[in-house]
Amino acid sequence: MKLSSQALEILEKLKENNGEATVEGLEKQGFDQSMVNRASLELEENDLLNIEEVEEEEKTLSETGKKVLEEGSPEYRLVERVQSGDTHMSDLQDLDLDVALGKARQKSWIQIENGEIELVEEVDRDTVKQNLESGNFKQSYIDRGLVETEEKIKRTLKLEEKGEKIDLNDVDEYFNVEASVETPRTGKKHFYKDILDFAREKFVEMGFSEMRGDFIVPSLLNFDALYTAQDHPARDLHDTFFMERPESSDLSVYGDKVQHIKETHENGWTTGSKGWGYDWSKDEASRNVLRTHTTAVSARRLHEIDINEEELPKKFFIIGRNFRNETVDRTHLPGFIQLDGIVVGEDLNYRNLKAYLSEFFEKMGYDEFRLIPSYYPYTEMSTEVQVWDEEDEEWLGMGGAGLFRPEVVKPLLGVEATVLAWGLGVGRIAMKAAQIQDIRELYRNDIEILENTPKWRPEK
Amino acid sequence: MPNIEVDKREFNDLVGEEIENESMIEEGSMLGAHWHSIEDYVCDVETYPNRPDLLSVEGLARAYRGFFDIETGRTEYQIKEGDIEVEVDNSVEDVRPFIGCAVVRGLDLSRKKINGLIQLQEKLHETMGRRRDKLAIGLHDLSTVEAPFTYKAVEPEKVSFIPLEYDKDMDLDEILDEHEKGRKYAWILEDENNYPIIEDSNGRILSFPPIINNQLTEVDASTEEIFVDVTGKSKEAVLKALNIISTALAERGGELESVAVDGEKLPDLSPERFKLDPEYFRNVSGLEISDKEIIRRLEMMKHDAKVKKDSIEVEVPSYRTDIMHQYDLIEEVVIAYRYDNIEPEMPEVDQIAEKSDIQEFVDRFRDVMVSAGILEANTFYLSSKEDLFDEMNTEESDDFAEVANPSSIDQEAVRNKLTPSLFQALHDNRHHSYPQSFFEVSEVVELDESHVGASNRMKLAFIKASKDLGYTEARKVLQVLERDIGISLELKSSEKEFARENRSADIIYQGERIGFICEYSDEVVHNWDLELDVVGFELDLEKLM
Repeated sequence: MKLSSQALEILEKLKENNGEATVEGLEKQGFDQSMVNRASLELEENDLLNIEEVEEEEKTLSETGKKVLEEGSPEYRLVERVQSGDTHMSDLQDLDLDVALGKARQKSWIQIENGEIELVEEVDRDTVKQNLESGNFKQSYIDRGLVETEEKIKRTLKLEEKGEKIDLNDVDEYFNVEASVETPRTGKKHFYKDILDFAREKFVEMGFSEMRGDFIVPSLLNFDALYTAQDHPARDLHDTFFMERPESSDLSVYGDKVQHIKETHENGWTTGSKGWGYDWSKDEASRNVLRTHTTAVSARRLHEIDINEEELPKKFFIIGRNFRNETVDRTHLPGFIQLDGIVVGEDLNYRNLKAYLSEFFEKMGYDEFRLIPSYYPYTEMSTEVQVWDEEDEEWLGMGGAGLFRPEVVKPLLGVEATVLAWGLGVGRIAMKAAQIQDIRELYRNDIEILENTPKWRPEK
Repeated sequence: MPNIEVDKREFNDLVGEEIENESMIEEGSMLGAHWHSIEDYVCDVETYPNRPDLLSVEGLARAYRGFFDIETGRTEYQIKEGDIEVEVDNSVEDVRPFIGCAVVRGLDLSRKKINGLIQLQEKLHETMGRRRDKLAIGLHDLSTVEAPFTYKAVEPEKVSFIPLEYDKDMDLDEILDEHEKGRKYAWILEDENNYPIIEDSNGRILSFPPIINNQLTEVDASTEEIFVDVTGKSKEAVLKALNIISTALAERGGELESVAVDGEKLPDLSPERFKLDPEYFRNVSGLEISDKEIIRRLEMMKHDAKVKKDSIEVEVPSYRTDIMHQYDLIEEVVIAYRYDNIEPEMPEVDQIAEKSDIQEFVDRFRDVMVSAGILEANTFYLSSKEDLFDEMNTEESDDFAEVANPSSIDQEAVRNKLTPSLFQALHDNRHHSYPQSFFEVSEVVELDESHVGASNRMKLAFIKASKDLGYTEARKVLQVLERDIGISLELKSSEKEFARENRSADIIYQGERIGFICEYSDEVVHNWDLELDVVGFELDLEKLM
């Protein structure tokens, strides 16, 4: 009989162990789990051994359970607070009141009248916390979500008669060249950055030069220069992060342009527009914000172009982080990465914009794409860009595009010109690549996800 | 973006044709309102803030009659001259200066139609009205009150009425304190001593704008005549909202009648005139279409248009709020032409492209770090002060950019260093085996003397955690960087509050300090819930450029 060196090693071990061992036990002795599994399968195939599988329920503390360990159970904390004089519901809003009240009532510890809580039983210890500490995981704790259960399969290896009898000297050792081994942990680029690198290459291939810009910008660049009225909802505290420090910018570096932007908002200046018709405030425009879109960087680039020195047309792009005042959850982050591009020139049109977008998405592996009317204060032919996802058979929103309005271009550039512009996101592509549903995973750096996500290339 | 619900049967009735659900969802969205779903006649439609005229089934039907070529061109609404007058008292000037009014008679309302009206009113409040601050709308059963009306500001405790949804007489202060709507919108009147009201000739209150109406004037299915008031802080917005509401009611067969507001006859539904240069249109859109075709497309968007000399004269409906430049009309034509039908055309733009200098530079560092066997991390740019300072055993200073209005403490600071984020990555990976190592190359923000007061700085940080790990492990990686980038760095012993004693150094490049390298102290490691040895370094890459 021929056996691999690994199978031979396990067989020897079992013989020393009176013919029986658990996989868990072997692991504790330093054997690699996947090696044990492969070896025992090989021994089973040779009728030398039998693998017994028993399902066992493993109980562990949940996040909520761990919190109880740290802080005490909600109902006991409630009791403590009531004892210390916080007897009205409104005093106790910082507690997890629903659970605390529910449990304390169920245990007949309290009575509630008109929002006043009265203790009706003397409670001097937190039995829930004590039980959790001592590992006494009752069914009710599972029901409450304090304890989680997981089905674990426990494997025991037992030698068959043939295995008991076999003389190790009669077995030839062979080297198994077919079996897989443990994949080593290596260095690797982050899958999201990998896709962004790919997109960066594509923009460069299309002849775009990369811009750089700061996260903190005056509202002037983020909003006013982009013809976003000062009472526009995007400028609310709920949507935009304003800065405490540094609080505001010195707008004098923008020279006359500040006055031109002001007049454009108020009456259209010389752009041919009616303007928004309100009193524009310079103070509001100097307030610093964390940029809410990389379009602020495009605006700055337009401002910096010296039309007497630089020849148009010109193409620029940036891939950068932006910030929105959002509470983090599965589908929201306080920021996102945007791929912004602009093409500045005199003889450009909407068909050209469509050509750049379709070229880019083709390079990213999406053959079918469409443009849908949308709205941004700073573009006309405001456009939502969607691509067709073959796998999930759905249209994916990839961002916005359009031609900058004359109210944006003329004050910033100093002359009339056409500016094709877009702001795209590839976060959805990254999530699909890494097979994650929770958007926070893009920033959580789980080693398993980082290692197991293949280096990105477009699907063809 | 505001979403509204409309009944597909009502929509079909108003359009005058049965339009398939599927074509509404597919083609309907090409007008610039997204038809997300239609189930049991209930349509979920998302509109954009530039088109408040689409916030009702009446407005949508009007737009789609044009878009689907059923009834094109501008709708002319008849207004009968009425004799109702509204006097605007000077007292409102500092509080809520503008009011616009209209009367609509001959209405045949139902519960459903009223709900649609309320939806339009509420959505206009939220969007155009900036949560009722900029404008608010009141609808009243005209038969319950007697003209003329007066719009004035009064002392809050001197006036009382029974507000909608309540059964007791309340003065204006009580309404702000006790009424649900009062509490919700009291902020608008926060700085005022006197509050605006609309009163009839017998001294009865119609409304306390922008808060609540009198129960007396409540509109129900039996109401045949409606008095509309729109009050606010921008005259333009007030008049536009009045036009949107009045024309929606007229679409329902109501007869519009003018109201004299301080002598001005409202609503003013006369169109606004713009000139569209057809050459300009062709240049910007890239569409080589005839003047005639341009006019036809404008008419599909419910404008009137005709050629006048070298340009096209366009009459824009009075309910449109978003046309302020001929550029907007170019979009109108392209929307009617359909974005779908645009053929892409790649322009010739010769340009030698390049990555930014900094990107080119840092990509080399990333490559070297990966080849040294380290995983690249991608972490959040905002942080809590606790993570930046306390958890790193570092005394808090104010040399970082601070957010004024974070919605959670995790967003109160823009990070000025990367290492805490890498500790977070170690913390989040505690369930995986060791050793673990991460690097990140990212921008942080540092305060400076620029016109903004802060700028981005590109940094590189490395961290490694394992049992029995020492300073040497960090030093090795730094030396790989020196070798593969081709630079030479100097280390100078320097004690750090976050490092083990005699296990930290400053990294010096050409005489300037550009970072640190260390074995982290047990306290810091413990702060991140780790029980291992942790080493690392952090560098300012821009000082190496």
